[in-house]
Amino acid sequence: MNTTVVGESILRPDAYEKVQGGKGFPVNVTLPRMLHAKLLRSPYPYARILNIDASAAEELTGVKAVLLPKDVPQKKYCPVYFVPTMAASMVQDMVVMSDTVRYAGQPVAAVAATTPEIAERALQLIDVEYEQLEAVFDPESAMREGAPRLHEDAENNIAVNPSFTFGDLEAGFEGADHIFEGTYKTQRAHTCYLEPRVCVVDSDINGRLTVHSSMQHMFGLREKLAFVLDIPESMVKVVKPPYIGGGFGGKLDIGYIEPIAALFSLKTGRPVRIEQTRYEDFITTTRNPIEVYLKTGVKSDGTFTARYALSTLDCGAHATHGAEVINVHGMFGILLNYRCANQTWEGRTVYTNNMIGGGYRGYGSPQGSFAVESQIDEICDELDLDPIEFRLKNAHQEGDPHPFNPEFTLSTYRFADCLKQAAERIGWTDRAAAKSSNGHKKRGIGFGCQPVWVSGCMGFPDIYEHSGAIIKLNSDGTADLSNATVDMGSGQITTLCQIAAEELGLAADKVRMTYADTDTVPFDAPSHASRVTYSAGNAVKAASAVVKKRLLEVAGDLLEASSEDLEVRDGVVYIKGSDKKISIPDVIKRAEGPFVVMTEEGPKPTTIKEKGTIIGVASMAPPSNPSPSSVEFVELEVDTDTGEVEILRVVFAHDIGKVINPMAAEGQVEGGFQQGMGYALMEEIQFDADSGACLTADFLDYKIPTAVEMPPSIESIFIESNEPTGPFGAKSLSEPCVSVPAPAIANAIYNAVGVRVRELPITPEKILAGLGKL
Amino acid sequence: MKKLITLEINGEQHELALEPSETLLQVLRDELGLVGAKRGCDSGGCGCCTVQVDGQAVYSCMQFAHALQGRTVKTIEGMSQNGELDPLQAAFIEEGAVQCGYCTCGMIMTADEFLATETEPDDQQIRHAIAGNLCRCTGYQKIVTAIKTASARR
Repeated sequence: MNTTVVGESILRPDAYEKVQGGKGFPVNVTLPRMLHAKLLRSPYPYARILNIDASAAEELTGVKAVLLPKDVPQKKYCPVYFVPTMAASMVQDMVVMSDTVRYAGQPVAAVAATTPEIAERALQLIDVEYEQLEAVFDPESAMREGAPRLHEDAENNIAVNPSFTFGDLEAGFEGADHIFEGTYKTQRAHTCYLEPRVCVVDSDINGRLTVHSSMQHMFGLREKLAFVLDIPESMVKVVKPPYIGGGFGGKLDIGYIEPIAALFSLKTGRPVRIEQTRYEDFITTTRNPIEVYLKTGVKSDGTFTARYALSTLDCGAHATHGAEVINVHGMFGILLNYRCANQTWEGRTVYTNNMIGGGYRGYGSPQGSFAVESQIDEICDELDLDPIEFRLKNAHQEGDPHPFNPEFTLSTYRFADCLKQAAERIGWTDRAAAKSSNGHKKRGIGFGCQPVWVSGCMGFPDIYEHSGAIIKLNSDGTADLSNATVDMGSGQITTLCQIAAEELGLAADKVRMTYADTDTVPFDAPSHASRVTYSAGNAVKAASAVVKKRLLEVAGDLLEASSEDLEVRDGVVYIKGSDKKISIPDVIKRAEGPFVVMTEEGPKPTTIKEKGTIIGVASMAPPSNPSPSSVEFVELEVDTDTGEVEILRVVFAHDIGKVINPMAAEGQVEGGFQQGMGYALMEEIQFDADSGACLTADFLDYKIPTAVEMPPSIESIFIESNEPTGPFGAKSLSEPCVSVPAPAIANAIYNAVGVRVRELPITPEKILAGLGKL
Repeated sequence: MKKLITLEINGEQHELALEPSETLLQVLRDELGLVGAKRGCDSGGCGCCTVQVDGQAVYSCMQFAHALQGRTVKTIEGMSQNGELDPLQAAFIEEGAVQCGYCTCGMIMTADEFLATETEPDDQQIRHAIAGNLCRCTGYQKIVTAIKTASARR
């Protein structure tokens, strides 16, 4: 498809403001007479609150209000934004503030004061009497008979227990020549969005709320906040932030801060701000740790005959995202990635007195891909099979029915191309030679795949998936785009403006993303699930098409041609194959000008049917859920004296449909590798074994890669195809970038030093232990 | 008890009455509305709050403003001259080094100090210079490229 704006590395319009200070972040919002609130958090992991005496706090000068569990609604809900609050597939076990504490750090009281310092001081004056209960910190112990029960309706502390079966597993194992078993474990990791969770909630005398928040879903926040406070949704207005400082899935649920700020605002009649400290952010949301047991049967030639997996997810004190992560993990981390007629997967989301989980880029697939891609390499090593041929043999093919939803097909599917091109680029055939040593340093090459993924949530039970947009043409030839998609840094603004510009026939810098709130624009699902380009992009394209249709109708009248004979290029409407033209500004002057114009001969009427703002709206669900596909090769060096790993080179290949913005797409791959590498080698939220207190609550203790640890280069290969249902052929990108690094690194380490680590992070200690040195 | 100090910020003199515990970050953001310096951790771990004091890049969250009597401070708001972007700012835009933008101002402040003395840095030197500035979006690759591009222009 020939495009002029889509496919170009257009510079981000928001970058200009961000390099000069970045005023648009929600953390900067201040309102007159604003109060500041702070939360008191439990030091105990499992306890009943017997009594709270906040009288001294209330009397402190500057304190305007105090909230205790008895002062807040006790309605149970599921905080996850992208599902209806009472969705059947989720678990509604969350309360704004409870008198039962289920994890260390759970809020038990809140204070609103004129300054944050006064609020902080007031917290220390609150006297809480706890009755400590016996706590449980790991899923295996939590599921045992006699373990403390965390929630009334969860027997054995199992929140949800989904399973999927295809074919006949027993027969599959009987037909296998070899059977492999293994247990793979992943850890708790934090998204580390740099802008903290923060909100400002204001209220008017009618109790109508206006909410500013650093979050990934405007309409989700509206729905959840209204639900928790038991008010109609129309009483809540969420303002669209111009952009937010990172999300990565960690801002996909309503926190404690929005309801508490809202309650304070309603109580005091003033706006209330709550900004989480970095410690609070570290204990707010996490990638759930999952332990995966795999049992796999193969023929001697590598064909899968049977695949069984049992996944155990630690969701902590409340199910939150854990009820959905387990499903995505089972489906896209394990079952659907390759073809096998006989597969059974069972998942358990288990309550413990650990911190609650959130969303995080990949949403269960990194935990699954680590297990599956590691085991495949183990199988190939044992049976002396080529790891690339093995995967190709078992891969889905273009044109196959979509493994998740057979109503769709894998209309474009270039997994094989990804494998071949990336293998060639890294020099895979020289791998044996690559296992060279430089004294105590040994090199290796490995790879990992995310063969099947999603472009949004179409087809998933209980998940919202529709988008909308409003576009308006201005008399200066620019267009204003208004929609509810939040830009968290991945470039949503840029992508959507490019799609609109391409459809309208405008230059990229002529489309501007402008103001929106939940009163003024159609619903949009969150910025998550790699959905914005495909889902929101399709809606933006549709709204642009409405605008273009009207533009050509009016232009056609003025040029005395049928709109079918017209086209738009660079802001000018042409009769196809002719020089006759009219600029968009001239069309608008006519459309928005007075009906009667003054001419030399006096006032003359124009035409009524031309009149009106040229504006278009669309609100729609995307037509499908096409699968991208990705592979990542990593070359690294292991220091066998220290166990340290240095990443030398990365090659990532992705079947993306059409690349909307090449430079932005590369940026997603490079950033994804930083997160995947950190997950593979160094990141882990750790807790005290007895008290459940978080030990890694700042950036000195929780290590993420800096510029120094990163490899000198990360190469991106984008395999382009024309996805028929995508805007200009596009599918999706961002999440597989984070799923593939860990297995690639684990496999490369094995290739380098023959140590197989099945537990993340792969720290120097684990490598040295594997070498028999510890 | 509040104490009066004077600080020069981006070439302007400011007289401020401050509590001893107030950090430079608080002064910039809450007293003066200079929101370019950002709070990412408030504990000297991320670099989002980086500004320059007497030309040296520092974490403003770790500086007690009281102790900076008479010093000069430069923030991102002082980078552009007469409405024209500094080559660093322009390079960050052009090389795609800005995603969410939360680390960006701190990165630029660090790079600005670095390039004042290193005129032709290689990639490794640049990476070490920004090791104290965390980024979670970009993987640093395009930030390194932007700093290199800017070094050639300054």
